[in-house]
Amino acid sequence: MGMLSTLLLIPFLGTALLLLLPGNPPPGRMRGVAITVLSLQLLWSLRVLLAFDPAQGALQLCESLPWVNSIGLDYRLGIDGLSLPLVLINAALTLVSAVCTRDISQRPRIYFSLLLLISGAVNGAFLADNLLLFFLFYELELIPLWLLISIWGGNNRAYAATKFLLFTAVSGMLILGAFLGLALFTGSVDFSLSPVLSDRLSMGSQLLLLGALLVGFGIKIPLVPFHSWLPDAHTQASTPVSVLLAGVLLKLGTYGLLRFCLGMFPEAWALVAPWLAIWAAVSVLYGSLAAIAQRDMKRMVAFSSVGHMGYVLLAAAAATPVSLLGAVFQMVSHGLISALLFLLVGIVYRKTGTRDLEVLRGLLNPERGLPFTGTLMILGVMASAGLPGMAGFISEFLVFRGSLPSYPLATLLCMVGSGLTAVYFLLLVNRAFFGRLAITPPTDPAHDSRLDIRLAGVAPRETLTTLGLALGVVLLGLVPATLGHLSESSTALLAGLPHVVLASTGAGGLG
Amino acid sequence: MPIIPAELVHAGGNPTPGELETCLLAGRTLLADTPEHLMQVVDVLESYGEVLDAYSINLIHQAEAQFLNPFPVFRFLDGDLSPARIWRHLWHDRINYEYAEYCMKTMLWHGTGGLDAYLDSPPFLENCRSIIARKTRRDPLLAVLHPLFPEFLTELIRAAATTHALGQFWRVMSDLFLDLARAEADGTVRTIEAVVEFIKDALVAAAAQPITYAVEVAGERFWVLPPEAGLTFLVDVAVPYVEAVFLRGTPFLGTVSFNAQAQQISPDQSTFAYGALFADPLPTMGAGIPPSLLMQDMYRHLPPRLHRWYDQRTRGEGDVRVKICMSFQKAMFCVTNAAIRGTFPHPLTVSEPAAQEANHAHAAAWAVRLSRARTDALGAEEGTAQA
Repeated sequence: MGMLSTLLLIPFLGTALLLLLPGNPPPGRMRGVAITVLSLQLLWSLRVLLAFDPAQGALQLCESLPWVNSIGLDYRLGIDGLSLPLVLINAALTLVSAVCTRDISQRPRIYFSLLLLISGAVNGAFLADNLLLFFLFYELELIPLWLLISIWGGNNRAYAATKFLLFTAVSGMLILGAFLGLALFTGSVDFSLSPVLSDRLSMGSQLLLLGALLVGFGIKIPLVPFHSWLPDAHTQASTPVSVLLAGVLLKLGTYGLLRFCLGMFPEAWALVAPWLAIWAAVSVLYGSLAAIAQRDMKRMVAFSSVGHMGYVLLAAAAATPVSLLGAVFQMVSHGLISALLFLLVGIVYRKTGTRDLEVLRGLLNPERGLPFTGTLMILGVMASAGLPGMAGFISEFLVFRGSLPSYPLATLLCMVGSGLTAVYFLLLVNRAFFGRLAITPPTDPAHDSRLDIRLAGVAPRETLTTLGLALGVVLLGLVPATLGHLSESSTALLAGLPHVVLASTGAGGLG
Repeated sequence: MPIIPAELVHAGGNPTPGELETCLLAGRTLLADTPEHLMQVVDVLESYGEVLDAYSINLIHQAEAQFLNPFPVFRFLDGDLSPARIWRHLWHDRINYEYAEYCMKTMLWHGTGGLDAYLDSPPFLENCRSIIARKTRRDPLLAVLHPLFPEFLTELIRAAATTHALGQFWRVMSDLFLDLARAEADGTVRTIEAVVEFIKDALVAAAAQPITYAVEVAGERFWVLPPEAGLTFLVDVAVPYVEAVFLRGTPFLGTVSFNAQAQQISPDQSTFAYGALFADPLPTMGAGIPPSLLMQDMYRHLPPRLHRWYDQRTRGEGDVRVKICMSFQKAMFCVTNAAIRGTFPHPLTVSEPAAQEANHAHAAAWAVRLSRARTDALGAEEGTAQA
């Protein structure tokens, strides 16, 4: 049994264990089992980290088993500096999701099984070294997530879950279509990840396949105009599911963008890259401007995700060693920051019963409000807006520094988006956390004296996960070299793919 | 939209001015008479009494020992400069005397009543001249400062006089509140009505107590507030104190911005309504909210009975200072109630129409002002332990 297979086995066996637990165990025990399994997964991911050789840029710790040879489906796993950070983020954030799932009375057995299943599938997608295998895992997380939204979601969950399913199913079909098209055009059923495959194709075929992949992954990331499922899904999903969705699942899209679009079609990529940079800028600006207009805190954070994922597209378009390293940083830091923000919004919603920015006021009130939650929220939004000393800064800096020489206009527009992040998140903090404490709309004050506001306090255990994530955000901002060291060889290799036409040669490595 | 909508600030089924006037004229208490109110009021006033004792001692020490000291670094140490005391001070194991200073400055700034009038009178300015002449002879720094800023030392003396007067006022109030706690403990006081009556009697008894203040400068004794000025406890200090601290107050620094945005800061100082009876207890412990200091001080001296009661409510220890502030506001309504009773021009039982008219006018004036105060604190508490 290889080291990477164990990373799949742990969550899948955990799923089976939960489903087969005899009798009718209480929800607490289900949660305990899930947390134990996910802790094991995190420990094993750390073990993989220790075994990983950062000096090598190519896939390593590879495992291979022939499976269905006739259709080119091989069980091939491998890990590199691009996927390792995402595997770690997946392990950490699924654990966070399980820990912050409380008071789950409805079908806890199914809930935690689905959580583990998603985590395993995501691991599989990040580790897969075969296109069809990737597609299998990519599709595998779809139905569990649909169930998580449609069973444990908010009032309008059916609509949001169906929308998510339709969008992501189309995304899957496009990706599968592109992979099959590759086989068709090249006349080979070798679904291994290699740019050599596309080399044999005409530019027209390359552009067609790349286009399908771009739209497919663009839906998942999501990029404007394929984003509209995300705010709805987030608004209706419960907090742990939002954490998983924003922190981990969106990264499947950006990972696909780097691994399969840039990695397999470098020549066509170089051709469309200037347009992709503009697309990134549009996505960033649209996401940020839409976030400004939101009055639901969760929708605001969701739109901020749309904006911040645009940076990854920009970095991928520029495809310089620095920008690609920035893309990895952006994926990790967005995972941490958006998970933190969704957890905090979840706490606010649980305590006040609303996320409406027209209603909430003064939650930083030291004794009757949610001061610690507010403090972490301020830290989270500062990190998201890219303040130095936190994860958001280093990732945005690398992306902008790496992309500026290639696409100055698009980069500058994305920087404006970064400024807009400060605008909408300061609006959020100013409205919900500053001023005089209020949690109900000013409608009928005569019958409801709102002077003596009674909010339940936030117990320390409820903020433990958020505190952990906040520490991660600060640590990554202060010691970025750790992650840089892990990913630099791989991103440099990706940037140096022989057929990539580098728009700029001025940018060097992280040093 | 204003940050604090007016209807939010004055929410709840508050009594109208007419209802308040009727209540005052009928001799009923403003605060609903419930056992819980009695316990809160008596216990919070007991801790307030303990704190006022410390404030009073310190204010009098400041006015006497730190007189015309331009850098009164050690003014909160009551003359005890031992390392242990300084350490406790730095470690913040101490009473927040800053709150007492804040009240003094509020009084000085609003400047109403007999004390303020005297501070602008020719005899006072004459006394100041002699004091400054004596002081500057030995003090080179002040000798340089005084010609440059001729109003500065006079203003410092006014502040010192207000400090000393407030110290004397709080001496009486401290003893009164501690006596009240003893009276409740031995069963003499059993209702809110009895509390109001107890405070009124004590205020009336101390009404004529003279307020004087003398300082020693370079071995020579000078009067700042001489006996012949005829300043007395009730009219010249207590009433201006109530006006400045209970009614007008100042917008707290921590809330000035949102009060200003909501256009709630009156351009007319005399119509300010930020005092103890108007203040919002909810921001207690926020930055720039001075009563937080008082609440923290009272928390240090909280009687165990009230502490237990708080522990069983809302967030227990977590929001105890907000709860203290709420109880304190109730207690201040009782004190105001007693002051209104004590200052009626005629007994409430009088039958003569002219006297009744005068009483009505007194009650009506108060009722109008109080109707805008936090009268939502007056009703009986709904429910007990809540989430």
